[in-house]
Amino acid sequence: MELICLGHFVLSHNPEVWILGELMLNCSWGGVGGDSIHRIHPALECHSLVVSLSSFLLRFNYRSTHHLTSNGFYEFLNWFDERAWYPLGRIVGGTVYPGLMVTAGLIHYVLNLLHMTVHIRDVCVFLAPIFSGLTAISTFLLTRELWNQGAGLLAACFIAIVPGYISRSVAGSFDNEGIAIFALQFTYYLWVKSVKTGSVFWTIGCCLSYFYMVSAWGGYVFIINLIPLHVFVLLLMQRYSRRVYIAYSTFYIVGLVLSMQIPFVGFQPIRTSEHMAAAGVFALLQAYAFLQYLKDRLTKQEFQTLFFLGVSLAAGVVFLTVIYLTYTGKFSLSLMRYLCPPPRYAKIHIPIIASVSEHQPTTWVSFFFDLHILVCTFPAGLWFCIKNINDERVFVALYAISAVYFAGVMVRLMLTLTPVVCMLSAIAFSSVFEHYLGDDQKKDKEGLGPNIKSIVTMLMLMLLMMFAVHCTWVTSNAYSSPSVVLASYNHDGSRNILDDFREAYYWLRQNTDEHARVMSWWDYGYQIAGMANRTTLVDNNTWNNSHIALVGKAMSSNESAAYQIMQSLDVDYVLIIFGGVIGYSGDDINKFLWMVRIAEGEHPKDIRESDYFTPQGEFRVDKAGSPTLLNCLMYKMSYYRFGEMQLDFRTPPGFDRTRNAEIGNKDIKFKHLEEAFTSEHWLVRIYKVKNEGSSRTSSFLRKARS
Amino acid sequence: AVGMMLLLKNVTNSLLCTKTLLMEKVGQMMDWASKRSVIRMNGEKFRRFVKAPPRNYSVVVMFTALQPQRQCGVCKQADEEYQILANSWRYSSAFTNKIFFASVDFDEGSDIFHMLNMNSAPTFMHFPSKGKPKRADTYELQVRGFAAEQISRWIADRTDINVRVIRPPNYAGPLMLGFLLAVVGSLVYLRRNNLEFLYNKNAWAFAALCFVLIMTSGQMWNHIRGPPYAHKNPNTGQVSYIHGSSQAQFVAETHIVLLFNSAVTFGMVLLHEAATSDMDIGKRKIMCIAGIGLVVLFFSWLLSIFRAKYHGYPYSFLMN
Repeated sequence: MELICLGHFVLSHNPEVWILGELMLNCSWGGVGGDSIHRIHPALECHSLVVSLSSFLLRFNYRSTHHLTSNGFYEFLNWFDERAWYPLGRIVGGTVYPGLMVTAGLIHYVLNLLHMTVHIRDVCVFLAPIFSGLTAISTFLLTRELWNQGAGLLAACFIAIVPGYISRSVAGSFDNEGIAIFALQFTYYLWVKSVKTGSVFWTIGCCLSYFYMVSAWGGYVFIINLIPLHVFVLLLMQRYSRRVYIAYSTFYIVGLVLSMQIPFVGFQPIRTSEHMAAAGVFALLQAYAFLQYLKDRLTKQEFQTLFFLGVSLAAGVVFLTVIYLTYTGKFSLSLMRYLCPPPRYAKIHIPIIASVSEHQPTTWVSFFFDLHILVCTFPAGLWFCIKNINDERVFVALYAISAVYFAGVMVRLMLTLTPVVCMLSAIAFSSVFEHYLGDDQKKDKEGLGPNIKSIVTMLMLMLLMMFAVHCTWVTSNAYSSPSVVLASYNHDGSRNILDDFREAYYWLRQNTDEHARVMSWWDYGYQIAGMANRTTLVDNNTWNNSHIALVGKAMSSNESAAYQIMQSLDVDYVLIIFGGVIGYSGDDINKFLWMVRIAEGEHPKDIRESDYFTPQGEFRVDKAGSPTLLNCLMYKMSYYRFGEMQLDFRTPPGFDRTRNAEIGNKDIKFKHLEEAFTSEHWLVRIYKVKNEGSSRTSSFLRKARS
Repeated sequence: AVGMMLLLKNVTNSLLCTKTLLMEKVGQMMDWASKRSVIRMNGEKFRRFVKAPPRNYSVVVMFTALQPQRQCGVCKQADEEYQILANSWRYSSAFTNKIFFASVDFDEGSDIFHMLNMNSAPTFMHFPSKGKPKRADTYELQVRGFAAEQISRWIADRTDINVRVIRPPNYAGPLMLGFLLAVVGSLVYLRRNNLEFLYNKNAWAFAALCFVLIMTSGQMWNHIRGPPYAHKNPNTGQVSYIHGSSQAQFVAETHIVLLFNSAVTFGMVLLHEAATSDMDIGKRKIMCIAGIGLVVLFFSWLLSIFRAKYHGYPYSFLMN
């Protein structure tokens, strides 16, 4: 909605972009209007807003925000969450980027101050759409600085509807990235502004925006490397000026001091190698400026001698310092992590990272899916920018090249590519429309004629309409269904909502002891903590690999071995996801090999992956499956009582629809566990660990006390 | 007593015979191994040196199908790893005649495949120095993969011989870099009086565009995952260049996408040039038509490929 106001504002000033405005309105019904509708779509569709807030990671953010608003900022910083990562607990204040929670808390505080009583939950739900509006505005401002107003307007339209960004900004997606992209774009706008003007005012603004970015997302590393790179390339291109000197010197010092104020970041900016480029460029810029100064004072001969002496001395000093610091371990050479493709790095080092789908490289299909026409037109924008180069266009070219590399390496980083693609595409479209809309400006040159011009314009508009339609389709299909509610379609196209997750979490909430500890695979940790309000062992943010491996070991051992582990971890309930009844493929049996692999990484003597395969090397759940698999805890919990169940007349009893196989072990009995709850479609199954020995105090607590 | 003597003589005789046979066999094997780290065997050699009993050495055999008409991509990769392993053993200081590495190609020894009842290649088998191969002597390729380190671990498991895998360092990367630097350096040196070309915007813009197009067409995915160039259906012989699923891609497919993306980009640039350049009006009109044609045609083509891969996508433009 902001965009439409913005559009009118620009239109009243600039008659040349009238038709662009029309184009934008064209988009606005399918796009910008649709954008706000679609961003809020999931929230409206499900009855309560709570549901839409329930994607896995986000529940944690909401819980922390709730803690912040009810207990105050300092209490939040010192918060020790004993419900997470049982029995270790988690210090939340020092291990999160607090920007998101503080922003939501601040909005809530201001609204309450104005006597508008809004629940913090509603603030959280609508935070992402609000920030996507702000992102559109800052993209407009940045593109206007780079090219012109018309391109800015188009860029704002694009970013408002592009699927690559909508994925993070639907209502209810209460996520760091949602606000971070606004901070990113706004920081870049202020940076370009300060390079253009050379005024300390804009630079300080840039630093404050950078500070906000640091507080919001770990991706701030991208900024602190891109801006020095820009300065460095400007130096190489001999585009050094006082403006650049003032802007970068101020930015580096103030930005550094501000970024170190975030507890989670701390002293990283002066220790780790990913921040070293900024320091190096800072030193280089000072040296360059000093040489410029000397050049005015000395003769050419003297200057040359001094120059070579100075350069070799400086190079030697830097080299020795780096070696010394690396040697003493104060400075880690972790740059490899960024240069070598992360999936490959991760595959070698930690199976847990390789198991997360967001760390995969990007296929061309996901580029096209997320960017549609923009992906084929933005190179044209890059071409125009480089052809008409100036200080700030150097910046956007570097931004595009680095972002496209990172997006290619990791699907998740598509998010940082999206804004620059919108800007460059807007530049490409705008420089075409500029010449094909309206009358010929130059009278001395023969024009192309109205026929050709209108054909080109029509076709271009068709393409843009296709883009708007695509965005609407993607948003309504792919990105706006809350992940906690599954939808299935019948043969006649009608939709069933499977509400098993919520059913199970509410069962946990209502029927178990308040301090009960629930073991599950880490994907469901935040959901259990957030929706059932029970203590979990591992969750989506657990970085303690051995802890996860222990849970994996329990799941993949036989019942009695698993019981020992569960006793030592004080587990009261075990929760698993089973999709065999409805054919849901994201269930725990399909994830099971990852549990085995992660467990094997830490306990190679007890768990071996090859034991879970048939001699032919297949992973099968039917009779031919390996006996280790057929008797492990996860298998037994998933298929308990399933052997008696006949789903269909055509299939035998105990037929697993997900894996299309009749299960191999139908006679499952438990000794140490009992079934506590199974949801309507068997999607969630909860087992109670039998409490043997009435006065069992937790062995861990006993150990801790003694 | 004479009978006893005769028997004894016979036994010693046969023992001696075995001994010389064994010596001969080991000598022959060592001779081959010194020529090639992986001994290539046909059916007859295999029976004589691996199957026949007097043996005090283990043999690891890779059963494979390397002939090009067999179209076994995995065999080639497995073969490379196997060569690395065998070379590491051949040139290590611990090299002895306790273990040999051999390979049997399907087209040279298909009777062996039938004899061992084997119907898939590549397969690694270990023939111990004593007794028949057990179940664990067949390497679980599906589970453990064919990395040389994995195979060496398996060998250590079966024979107590540790082969330290030494990969020959990959000189290709540094060499390419050096070559590139040399070319750039010599160019700069040749043109040292006139460095104007460094300020050539077209060249820089072209390089930037190449990089961007390479990245957006998913070459990084190819680099990490290493998919085949295209898929040939073994039954019909039909070659498909486009992978059917949206989760994966072929190399050929990414080249097509690269081409289409650059065509659309080129069309946009042409449109802009047609409106701004100083050429005569006829040429500019042709440029303009060509530009819009390129943009519309290749974009709709791209959309149709996307539609074929992303099942359930409803929209298309100009072509299905």
